[in-house]
Order: sequence, then structure tokens, then C-alpha cells
Amino acid sequence: MFRSRSWFGGGWGRPKNPHSLEHLKYLYNVLSRNQTVSEHNRGLLVETLRSIAEILIWGDQNDSSVFDFFLEKNMLSFFLRIMRQRSGGSNYVCVQLLQTLNILFENIRNETSLYYLLSNNHVNSIIVHKFDFSDEEVMAYYISFLKTLSLKLNAHTIHFFYNEHTNDFPLYTEAIKFFNHPESMVRIAVRTLTLNVYKVEDSSMLGFIRDRTAAPYFSNIVWFIGKHIQELDMCVRNEADHHSQNRLADLVAEHLDHLHYLNDILCLNITDLNHVLTDHLLHKLLIPLYIYSLATHRRTSSIAEGSVSKILWSSSSGPDSPRLQDPTSGRVSCVVALFLLSQVFLILSHSPLVQTLAWIILKTDKSVFEKGVTKLLEHYECEKKLLEDSYEETLVEDLRNITDEEKEKLAKNPSDFVATEKPFLETVYSALDCNENDYAALFGLCLLYAMANNKGVTTDVLEQVLKPKKSFSSKDVKYSYNVYLVEKLLSIVTLACQPTCRVRLVTLEITLKLLLQLVICDGKNILMDQHRPTIESCKSQSLALLRNFYKSEEIFLDMFEHEYCDMSKSSLNVEWLCMDSAILLPPAGTPMTGIDFIKRLPCGESEKARRAIRLFFLMRITALSLNGEMETQLPLTNPQSCVQIEQALDLNNSDLIACTVLYKDGTKMRRFLVIDVMQLILVEPDNKRLGWGVAKLVGFLQDIEVTGDKDDSRCLHITIHRPISGATTNRVPLLSAKFLFDDNIRCMAAKQRLTKGRIKARQKKMQHIARLLEIPGQSGPPSPAFTGQGLYGGRKNVRPMFVSSRCPGFAAPKRDSSPGVLHRTSRLQNDVSPSSSNRSRDSSLGRAKSREGSPRMPRPRSEEIPLELIKKTTLIDMAPKISILPRPQTPRIENELSQEKEAAPTIFISEETSFIGDRKTTNDGVETI
Amino acid sequence: MSYAYLFKYIIIGDTGVGKSCLLLQFTDKRFQPVHDLTIGVEFGARMITIDSKQIKLQIWDTAGQEAFRSITRSYYRGAAGALLVYDITRRETFNHLTTWLDDARQHSNSNMVIMLIGNKSDLESRREVKKEEGEAFAREHGLVFMETSAKTAANVEEAFINTAKEIYEKIQEGVFDINNEANGIKIGPQHSPTNPSLPGAGGVGGSQGSACC
Repeated sequence: MFRSRSWFGGGWGRPKNPHSLEHLKYLYNVLSRNQTVSEHNRGLLVETLRSIAEILIWGDQNDSSVFDFFLEKNMLSFFLRIMRQRSGGSNYVCVQLLQTLNILFENIRNETSLYYLLSNNHVNSIIVHKFDFSDEEVMAYYISFLKTLSLKLNAHTIHFFYNEHTNDFPLYTEAIKFFNHPESMVRIAVRTLTLNVYKVEDSSMLGFIRDRTAAPYFSNIVWFIGKHIQELDMCVRNEADHHSQNRLADLVAEHLDHLHYLNDILCLNITDLNHVLTDHLLHKLLIPLYIYSLATHRRTSSIAEGSVSKILWSSSSGPDSPRLQDPTSGRVSCVVALFLLSQVFLILSHSPLVQTLAWIILKTDKSVFEKGVTKLLEHYECEKKLLEDSYEETLVEDLRNITDEEKEKLAKNPSDFVATEKPFLETVYSALDCNENDYAALFGLCLLYAMANNKGVTTDVLEQVLKPKKSFSSKDVKYSYNVYLVEKLLSIVTLACQPTCRVRLVTLEITLKLLLQLVICDGKNILMDQHRPTIESCKSQSLALLRNFYKSEEIFLDMFEHEYCDMSKSSLNVEWLCMDSAILLPPAGTPMTGIDFIKRLPCGESEKARRAIRLFFLMRITALSLNGEMETQLPLTNPQSCVQIEQALDLNNSDLIACTVLYKDGTKMRRFLVIDVMQLILVEPDNKRLGWGVAKLVGFLQDIEVTGDKDDSRCLHITIHRPISGATTNRVPLLSAKFLFDDNIRCMAAKQRLTKGRIKARQKKMQHIARLLEIPGQSGPPSPAFTGQGLYGGRKNVRPMFVSSRCPGFAAPKRDSSPGVLHRTSRLQNDVSPSSSNRSRDSSLGRAKSREGSPRMPRPRSEEIPLELIKKTTLIDMAPKISILPRPQTPRIENELSQEKEAAPTIFISEETSFIGDRKTTNDGVETI
Repeated sequence: MSYAYLFKYIIIGDTGVGKSCLLLQFTDKRFQPVHDLTIGVEFGARMITIDSKQIKLQIWDTAGQEAFRSITRSYYRGAAGALLVYDITRRETFNHLTTWLDDARQHSNSNMVIMLIGNKSDLESRREVKKEEGEAFAREHGLVFMETSAKTAANVEEAFINTAKEIYEKIQEGVFDINNEANGIKIGPQHSPTNPSLPGAGGVGGSQGSACC
């Protein structure tokens, strides 16, 4: 917008080529004739400064004489002179000046040019210049300038900024003055700069940082963090009604920023600096404020008493008092402390720091605790020394002398870790009490989990408390674990499995996660006999709970699959959990809080059903992991066994219905409709092999909607919804189109088969769930088969399904080559041993009987093709009949418990089972009765 | 210079996609005709007008700071708008979009407006990513999409201004908590105490004062 002004005042001698030495000379003249900034020339000056940046960059890349001229004429000194004037509009010029410098330093590639620019100390003079920082624009450009410079720092350039002789480092010292600037972007820039500085490997500079600045800078940071968490604590205290979640979210995010910043510094591994920082953090913040806040509650121990006001400890010196000399004077509530400590252990991994903290939390006893922070740390140092000294002796000598019995005794005596003599640990343990609610328990669990999984905490601190302990006796290895804690966890699990429980899913999930870590050692389940039944009964309880909802909700199946998908999408990430400020508020029940489902209590029947489903999954996984087993039953649909798009299918002998698909956008496609067990497949003839087809679209039968067309009896409107999957939230239907068939008979056939296919597909899955839930009436153990197995699924060589039904709707199966089991090709058939195919058929029949064995079963309906007959007949011409789906019939009737009205086309099951049977022969054995 | 609102933007995307050039192009148009020169800058501010209100845009580039987790985290959080940039002549920069987006979504506040930018549209002959692909990606992830050229300035204005318009609309709808500066929105100094149409504007000055060092 100022371009027009550039012509003003530059009337004479302005070179035509803006990229030339001449142009810079001209600009130099302009500057030297306008050394005083005034209202009149400021536009001109700004324009000149812009042009200088541009031409210098051009010169840097094209013509070195440009830079020579700039340095020769000492043009940076003009810059200084301009910024030192406090006249009208000087901020305006200063902003451009800083931006010109930014452009210069950012874009110069030639190292020599950079050195020249830095060589005469003008840059340091600019850095220390007192700009008008009240102008936010000046502030922003200034801090960007400093940050840009810091990105140029390396072992060479550092000497232009840090002066060893004068012990002066303005770039750093000026920047850190703004470390707590109200503007977040300024703070971030300062942090970036400090990290860029620490990164430079220059011992004398780092010495300066440590000796001259570290103590004040770090103690300032620590002080502000302390002040900050008191604000956070206040916010939690006042926000029990979920009113200003935003504010709380910001405070939590800010705390995380602090921790990440500290971690970034610690991760640079600068020994001296880390030492100072660790010292400050331990003495001034983490122990006095975070850890001691745990103990404030010790006597009353009302953490889990439900009411927030009781939980929250009210500090005598209001944390909002403006001049808190020492953040330790006011402590925070126990829940907040647990939450913040969890974050500390989740983010920081600097061993000397986290090791000390873990030791203090887990091992401090009452006597030392009462003496205060300094004594506590001294005590820790002593213990550590003692431990280190004794290691050589104890480990080498003592342990050798101890008898096995003694060792066992030591191992089996976890009461040490339960003792009320350990104030901090006791608080954590008592937080785990969920009888009223799980508010504090969640944080206690997070902390324990975070400590147990922190890389910086060594096993010797955790062993027996948070990790299983191994002791070697003469013959074998003995394992032991923290019985007290495991019992605490088991009681949470038990509560969670009660119908009226107050335990959130997230609490249960983390409990189970921690439990597995405590009782699985070297891949072995070391759970004691006394604890095993608890898990079993919890699992049965979870089954019982879900059984109440089985079919009570109409969309039970969809819910079931959705929850499974949701859950397997990502397992619980405790670090992410602890980033969520919402958990800091007392557990809520209503979704109107915007809190994730798993982080709150269920609301209404539908959500209770969801919860029961989740509970079932969690308990199932846990039981499986404890037994060292793999999941073989879930998900209900096994994607590997489904027909994929572009897969070639042998459709000789299959029922194909020709149709034209009319899309909404007007496109038309000629396709053949194939209805598999679980899937609807649209194929295009394969031009390479006769009778084969290429799948162009596949959808699950369970997700289809079919409606007839009022005006045209040859038409169907088919919508295929996308299967529930974690990948996308996009619920645009997979297909929504009109299908035009050759005549109304074929149209009706298609409609009937699709509708039935949908029902059957869903029934099959429901039966699978019923077996998982051990609902009575489901005989036999659950099949290892995934219900998703279709006829074509997972096969490379594809076999014929239905014999030469050239004309759709005409089922004329010729099945001499595939006795009984429809999906066997003659080719594959040879590979399958007769026993396995028999077995699978038997088992499937068995299941069919139990589930839907209807009295009508043995009577083959005219439109159904009894397999046993097919086996013997070479060709059954059923031309006048519409084939819905052929199905195998069993001549026997056994077990008619199920009251399903429809005789199921049990062929689905036989196919699926035998298919699995030939893939997983081991499971098949189990399945066969 | 006074303004009604200040919006903070960040620019994200792989290195070399032209982020800092876009920034400079927008904030300082004079670099437009320079053809064989790539000049960028990490920070810039400019005033625009939306709905006859003066709005100041502050744009912060995060280049070169990816090594520090604390820095990226806070950057995302402090911004009201983000320009996610890829280079239409380099397929891999397009492929990395998901990673950038995941990061942004994880760290930023949920209301942050993200605009997808396919930069270097002037290099049609070397194009590797079709415009339709960019459009599809944007549609799938609910972003606004535009192809720009920092070199010819095509669509650069629009990219920044449209993002601002969207943020402005969100403010009008009451989606953004404007009293919370952590969202990357600031109410102009002269607007806060007097303008009654801004709910609770008085709080801004207060919080500023208390936090000052």
C-alpha cells in the first residue's frame, strides 16, 4: 500500500533495475539524506528499508558487490540511528526495520555474508535497544527477530552473540526477560530461543548460562508454574458444575506446556543445566507443592467421599492472593496433585528427577515426612548412597547367605508397602477406593500407571510395588506381587461389573491395564489362586450384565459392532487421557457436558447398553490376556475373509441376477448381482475367463436397505450403508442407486433374496453374540469362525457356488462336484480331507439345529434345495421356482429349543464353518462334538 | 493502529512448500514481481477489513522448530487459524498432510479454522498433485481448499482473508470464546471496555493486567 510513495522523494537517479548495485547506491543516498525520521519521510524510509532487504537478498544470491557496498557504507548504523529516534511514527519505521532484519537473516544463504552482517556488533546493539514494547506490533517483530537470530546459532556464530570477555550474551538475556509475557506467541518465541541457545555446543557459553542465568531463570519458571497450578486448583474448586470448562482446559494445557518445555530442556542432556533445573524443580515445586499436597489429606482421608467440597482441600493462604512469596505456602487439593503428578510422570523422563520423585512417593515414611522437604531430600540422598554402597555388599555377600525361606519371606511380605507409615503412598492407595465414586481413583491409577511406565524410573524402585518381583530360589523362580494393590484393583473391577456401579469405563480400563502389568511377569500369569476367582466372577458378571441388553435395544447388533470398532481403534492412551481437563471435574453422567462417553457415566438405557458392551469387551480381553490366549471370536466380521473389490470370482454355477444400476448422477452400469452369505456383490464379467466375474462393488447385506419402486415393478432402490469402521466418520452410503432388472420376476427374486439375506446376516451375527454371551439355548462352544466368512471371502482360487443358473432366478444347481458343502470347488475339494469336511458339516448342522432348528427343517420346501438331495442328483431343474437360497437340510431333528420362525438357510453356516475348518484345523477340532 | 479483532494464524506443512513466502507475499506485497528470488519471513502482520471491521492478522511460521515438542504444542494451541500448505509439484508434501492434520487436531483448540493450500500453482508443468485431489482431501476432512502461488500472488489474499472470514463468522455465531486469548483471538484495545456487543469484554483487560510480568 505504500508502493506509490516510493516514487515520492526518489525522483532523481532511481535506477530502472531494482536488482542492481546501482539501486542499492541510490537507496543509500535516500537513507543518508533522511537520517531524521519525521512524519513526512517515514513512508519513504519504510519503502527504502523494504527495498534494501530485497536487494540484499538478491545480492546474496547473485552479486557479491552488493553486500560489499552495504558493509563498506556501514548501512546497519543507519538502522541503529533510525531506531534510536523517538519521534512521531518511529514505531512504524521500527517495525519495518525489524522486518527488514528478519528478512535479511532468514534468507541469507551465503555464510560469509552472514558473518559480515554480524561482525560489527551492530546486531547486539539492536538487540539491547529499548524498543517500545508496549506496542504489540513492535513486540511481535522484535521477538521474531530474536528468534530468527537464534535459529542461526551454531558453534561459529555463537561468538558474535556471546562475548566471553565481557561475559555478555544479550540475545539470551534480553529474550528471557519476556519469558512470562502475557502474549502466548511471545512466550513461545522465548522458549524456542532458549532451546536453540542451549542446543549450541559451546562450553563457555553454557557455563555463562548456568552460572549467570540458570538460577534466576529456572527459579522464575518454577515460581510461575507454582502460581499457575494454584490457579488451576482454584478453577477445579469453582468449576464443579462444569461451567467454564474452557478456562480449565487452558490451564491444564498450559501446565502441559510447562512440562513439555522442561522436558525439552532436560532432553538436551546438558549435565550442568539439568542439575540446576532438577534441583529447582525438586526443592521448590515438585516435592513441596505436588507431593506434599498428597499428604495434606492424610488424616481426614475423605478423598472418595463424593462431595467435591470435601475432597478439595482448602488452603489457608488463598492461592489467589496476589503476592505469594512462596508457592509452597498453599497446597493444592489431592485430586489435582494426583493429576498433575501423573502428567509429570507421563512427560518427564529425566532419570535423576523422576527417580527421586518415585522413591519419595513410594518409600517415604512418616518420620521423615514430618521433617520437611529438605530433610526428605537429604534422606533420599543418604538412602541412595546407602543403597549404592550396600549393593556391592548386599548383593554379593548378603544375598548369598540368605536362605531360600528367608527370601521367600521377604518376597511375601508386601505389608511394607501397605503400611500406613508411608503417607504419600497411603494417599494414593486410599484414592483407589471407589465405593462412592471413582473421581479420585482415576487419578490414583493414572499416577501409578505413569510411574510404572516411566523410562527414567528404575526397576529397583518399582519392584514389588508396581512391578512383579522375581526371586530365585534354588530350584525355580518365585514371583510375587503387591497383593494389597492387586486387591485394591480387583475391588475396582468388581465394582465396575455391578449393574449399578459408579465406575467409569476409563477407570476400569486403566485398572485392568495396570492389573495386567502387576500380575504378568515374563509372559506368565502369576496371579495367586486366591485372586483368580475374582476375575472369573467379574467376567461372568459382565456377561450377565450384557445379557440383559441382548436384543433389548433394537440396534443392538450395530451398537455391538460400533463399540468394538471404537474400542479397537485405539487402546487407552494414558498420556492423552491426562491431557483432558474434563476428567478433573467430578464424574458427570450427562452427555451434555461434551465429555467422551468412556470418561463419564452412562445416561439412559441406550448408554447403559453401550457400557455393558464395553465392559464385556474389556473383561473378555483381560481374561484372554491373563490366560495367554488370542482373540478368535471378534470382530464379528473378519475383513480378511470378505470379497474385496476387483477380486475375480468364479461364478460358474452361481446365481447371478443381471441388472442395470442407475446412479443418481445419471450414470448407468450393467452388472450382475451376486448374493453371498454376508455380502452383496456387483460383478462385471471377467473378460479373461469365461464364467468368472470381477467384483466391482461389495457391501454387507446387513447394511442394505431395499425398497420397491412404485412406478416400475422391475426396479428396486437399494442403499448400502458403509460398514462401521474406525477409519472414517464419513457415513455417506457406499451405494445408493436404482436397480433395473430384466423383468418383475427377477426383480422380486432379487428383493426377496436381499431382504432375507439381510435378516439372515444379522441373525447370524446375533447368534454369534449369543454364543459369546453364553445365552442358554446356544449349544456347544462358540464357533471359532468369524461370521464374516462369505462364500468367496479370503480365497484366491474361487470356486463355483451355484451350478449354471444361466438365467437368474432359476436355481439349477449341479452339485455333484461339491457334495453337501456348496462352496467347495472340485479343485479345492480334493485338498480337503473327507474327515475335515464332514466334521465341519456336522458341527454346522449341530449349531443350526440348536439355534434355529425348526420343526419344518426336514421338509424341504419347494424353493429350497436340500443339499443331501443335490449331492445325489446331477441336475435339479427348478426352473419354475424362484430360488431364494438353497440350503442344506438335515434329516434329523434334534434340539428344538430355539423358536425362530424362519428355518434358516443353514447352508451359510456350513460354508462358513467348513471354510474355517480348512484354515484353522486346530480350532476345528475343538469345535467338533 | 486500532482494530476490532486480532486473529493469530500459524502456517504449517513440510519444509520447502513455500510457507514463509506465502506469509511475506501476504503481509508485504512488494515482493510480488520478484521472479527469480525466493524470499520468506517467519512473522508478519497485516490489517484487513471484514464486515467493515478492521481486523489484524498476525501470522507466525513455525519453520525449524519442529524438534521441540513443547514449541509445536503451544503454537497450535495459540492460533485461531491455520494454513496447511503443500506443494503441488511434490507429491510427498501432499502425502504428509494427514500427519500435519492429526497433529493440528490433537493440539489445537477444536474451533481452529484450517485452510488447505496447494501452493506453487504457477508451476503447472511440474504439477504432481491434481487440483481435484486437494479438493477431495479438503472435503473429506472438512477444510477449505485453495490453490495459490506465492510467486504470482494468485489467491494469496483470498487464502488469508477467507480464513479470517470464517473465523469472524464463528465469532458471530458465538462458537469462539473470544475472552479467552489462548484461542488466538484478541479483542482490540479500544474495543474491549466500551463495546457492549462483545460479551464480557471487560475481562480481557483484567486478565492481561494480572498476568503481566
